Amino acid sequence: MQVMEAQTVHSTDLDSAREVMTRLTQAVKAQVLGRDDVIELALIALMSDGHVLLEDFPGSGKTTLAKALGEAIVDDQPAHDPSDPSGRAYVPIVPFRRIQFTPDLLPSDVTGSAVFDASTNRFHFRHGPIFAHVVLADEINRTSPKVQAAMLEAMGEKQVTVDNQTYLLDPLFFVIATQNPLDLVGTYPLPTPQLDRFLFKLTMVHVARDAELEVLNTWQSRRDKHNARIHVGRTEILQARHAIDAGVYISDAIKTALVDISRALRADERILQGNSTRSLVLIMPALQVLAAMRGRSYVNADDLETLLPPVLTHRVELAPGSSDFVKILRDCMRGPMEILARGTLHPAP
Amino acid sequence: MSKAMSKTISQISTNTSVTSAKLIQGLIRALILALACWVLSTPLTTVTGSTAAAIGCLLACLWADKQQRTGTLLQLRAPALFLMLALALVLISTVTSLLVQSAMLANMLGAIVLYQSGQSLFWFTLAATLAIALRHTARRHSWGALPELLFVACAFVITLAAHQRGMIDRPYFIGDFALIRGLDPTTILMAIGVAAVLALAILLMMENQHRRLPYHASILGILCFSLLFYVQFFGLPTPQLTNDLGLTGTEGSGSNANNDSPFRDGENNASDREAPVAIVLFRDDYEPAGGAYYFRESAYSEFNGTLLWTAENPDLDQDLVDRFPSSPIDVSNEVPAQQLRRRVTTTIGLLAPHRSPFGLDAPVRFEPAPNPNSLRFRQTFTVESMVPEFEFPDLVGRKAGSSTWTLQQWAEYLEMPDDPRYGEFARQLTATLRPEFADDPYAKAMAIKAWLDENGIYSLKNEHAYAADPAASFLFGDLTGYCVHFAYSATYLYRSLGIPARVGVGYSVPAANRAGGSALLIQAVNGHAWPEIYLEDLGWVIVDPAPRQTLVDMSVDPQDSLQQLLGDMLRDDAAFQAFLQDQAGASAINWALTLRVLVALAFALLLLAYAIKIYRGSCIAWADERELYRLAYRAALDTLAAHGKVRRTGESREAFARRISQPLPAFQTLSDWHLASAPGYAFDPSLLMAGGAASASSAALGLNRQQWQEQVAALRKQLHSRQRWWQNALATAHPLPWLQSR
Repeated sequence: MQVMEAQTVHSTDLDSAREVMTRLTQAVKAQVLGRDDVIELALIALMSDGHVLLEDFPGSGKTTLAKALGEAIVDDQPAHDPSDPSGRAYVPIVPFRRIQFTPDLLPSDVTGSAVFDASTNRFHFRHGPIFAHVVLADEINRTSPKVQAAMLEAMGEKQVTVDNQTYLLDPLFFVIATQNPLDLVGTYPLPTPQLDRFLFKLTMVHVARDAELEVLNTWQSRRDKHNARIHVGRTEILQARHAIDAGVYISDAIKTALVDISRALRADERILQGNSTRSLVLIMPALQVLAAMRGRSYVNADDLETLLPPVLTHRVELAPGSSDFVKILRDCMRGPMEILARGTLHPAP
Repeated sequence: MSKAMSKTISQISTNTSVTSAKLIQGLIRALILALACWVLSTPLTTVTGSTAAAIGCLLACLWADKQQRTGTLLQLRAPALFLMLALALVLISTVTSLLVQSAMLANMLGAIVLYQSGQSLFWFTLAATLAIALRHTARRHSWGALPELLFVACAFVITLAAHQRGMIDRPYFIGDFALIRGLDPTTILMAIGVAAVLALAILLMMENQHRRLPYHASILGILCFSLLFYVQFFGLPTPQLTNDLGLTGTEGSGSNANNDSPFRDGENNASDREAPVAIVLFRDDYEPAGGAYYFRESAYSEFNGTLLWTAENPDLDQDLVDRFPSSPIDVSNEVPAQQLRRRVTTTIGLLAPHRSPFGLDAPVRFEPAPNPNSLRFRQTFTVESMVPEFEFPDLVGRKAGSSTWTLQQWAEYLEMPDDPRYGEFARQLTATLRPEFADDPYAKAMAIKAWLDENGIYSLKNEHAYAADPAASFLFGDLTGYCVHFAYSATYLYRSLGIPARVGVGYSVPAANRAGGSALLIQAVNGHAWPEIYLEDLGWVIVDPAPRQTLVDMSVDPQDSLQQLLGDMLRDDAAFQAFLQDQAGASAINWALTLRVLVALAFALLLLAYAIKIYRGSCIAWADERELYRLAYRAALDTLAAHGKVRRTGESREAFARRISQPLPAFQTLSDWHLASAPGYAFDPSLLMAGGAASASSAALGLNRQQWQEQVAALRKQLHSRQRWWQNALATAHPLPWLQSR
């Protein structure tokens, strides 16, 4: 009977969730041209409470994408009431922040620090740029590992601890980190366990010729139309998240396929280190979001095929001599996907 | 611990990803092992039994592979498994013996049926347990592939081993099969050998990388083919040549050029004693008085300073022929005493190379004979011989030598080592002759022969070879030696008494070997040298010492069946052909009946296939509504499969629908409906339980039977209009789309 209720959730709330996502997509697409696939994945990450690592050349629209996403979200309802009975410190959340990572950056520059206030003779916490809905962590590989660790800690736990005081981040906390695939001199590349915290690692390619022309033709108008943008409320997004989580069904068959695929990957001799269990946990909400975006109330094989490559590419280490992860993945998927496909004709008794 | 765990995990996960390549591999391996089982069991049991063994092995291999994938067998410890297998074997053999011994069952079913079923049961189990044990070991241990390989190899080696040393009729089950059908068994054995090499190679390579298999297999195939090519053009490996004196196999290569003395023919090892060297066909019946057939190939009559050797003087030994006949050759020297001899014609097929033709004593005419099988026979020729039928009175009272000889010939035939002991000894031996025979050459020769018979010791040891005069060393020494020693000693003794004598060389075959047939097999062991004396008006008379004492057992299997077979091959006459055809007709499978049964079977299978096709296509009309989502989709898949549109392995249903629906939009709808209605895929199957029939899958989308039927019909219509008429016809006629749809 609970399931029946879930089904009823689907018909009403799932539609509104879909409508929220459509609006968000429109808002971002109005600003970023020719990157529809990346926008879709970034949106999936946002809706499924994950984070995104973008890897692209400078000037290819990473910041524009992050900014468009951040500015599309408005704080329609204060996250933390100053009169919160829990007595926690009031945290002002802004929609969008950008942190430019440099080698001399310190963790407190990201999280914020306690500052002595001479007027009250007390320390009070000055919030760092991380307290925002959408944070653009630009060139994350340029900063020292300890700043990276602080950042990734915040991403994983959704909280910041400074001077033994824990400050919660907003439930809608979404990080878009970028790194430059070239110019690696003097960088601190993120190790695989840290990459594991990002839901997707997206490699953007140069936009198509027509899209690039379109960018040149419309950049002025887009800049001028700054105020006439579509906005999505923070609460709406959180509600949509909940609706998707409750309303999109992931069958046991899909879960089995997920587990079998990752086991096959780990057993494959071309792969040095397979993907983590965390990656499987993270991909589940993403699959639900994608299914909802595509107008379905259940996750299907298509969703798996779409999401597995961007989710897994940065989580595995290839053995020396093998280079094409997508091909390996396709090999490993063949068996489980066949079982998945056959399952629909032969239901388990 | 963790390492072991990760290993099992990886094993299981690799096992789950069963690829078709692995299945094919397993099948090939199972087939090879089954073949080996069949080959090994054939000599031991009936045809039914060996077939059961092959089937048992095949099934057991497949089963073991399947089990090992799912892991049940993996959990058993090897000793436990082997104990279980042994117990099963003991159990089954007990059951089998009970089955065969029980009188009641025998009365009911008939003894033969019972015996056959007992055999098949036992061999089936034996082969199955063996296969499981082999597969298990191969999986479990790194050396595990070895027993498998050895098993296969020994199957073939055992089969082929019987064929060696010229035993072309062995193994009997292949030889008989082939010869009755007029084939050369060699071809079959070659094929078996090639198959063995290929099988072993495939087994070996499957242990490593099957990707290399095609290359290696093709190279091996070329090698095997070139072996066949070689045999076709350069003939078969023949039994080793015996030298002129027979018996020896160590160096014989046609000419004893490295060997200037018949005594120095190396140590006689008896390994090749049974090797056939020639087959003789008797066109006239002849039973020798002395109990042995003598075939003279050559003779040593000219003393070259150290021993007797082949005559270089053309006046000597004119009865010998030293070349093979390409046209009829008449022996230049007329054989005397025609009235005491009989004409016997023989055809001789040489299986090993010889330097000169030979024939029954005394050959008068050599003719070439057609070679019925040039792969088998080196040379074939017909010999006319005037065989002696002398009685004792004919032999005594004759003068030694011939009055027509020149002084030169006389001198040559009497020349011998300058050793007075021969003369003294010979006179001593002949001194006791009765007075009436005191001057008779034949009686003297017989006296010497009798003494050698009595006192000589036959041995294959050659201890006199490097003495200055080996014959003297033998005669005045230990009297232990073989035919050459006896022959030379006797010849010198005869010559010392003034009797012209020489050493004849060739073959001496016991008359009993002929066994009443018209063919006589000459084996390597029959090689012989003997002394002969010349008597006035009789010609050369063989006086062959036969020592009573012997240190070696020179008896060999006379190879009756091989003798018969080679004789038949050489004879190659119409009667034999008729016999073969008769045999072939009697034993061949009833092709007409078999064909009819096969056709009927194929027809029945075809009907069954169409019935299944029609059922699956039309069952949506009456099936349970809850199952429609599945059955209608299946019907659509069948329709597509009939047109050759099949989902690829690993392709998701969604991707397949996208690929197919380009020209067929109805399929996209069907696929969407199907997937959205599939419990356990699009929604929780417990919903079905909770909601009952009302919220059943079809109801989830609110689809009724009519909608499903209409959609399937729409798909068929679209498909029909897209395809050409002949494609549609083919699809309608296709009996097995349901095997391909998935």
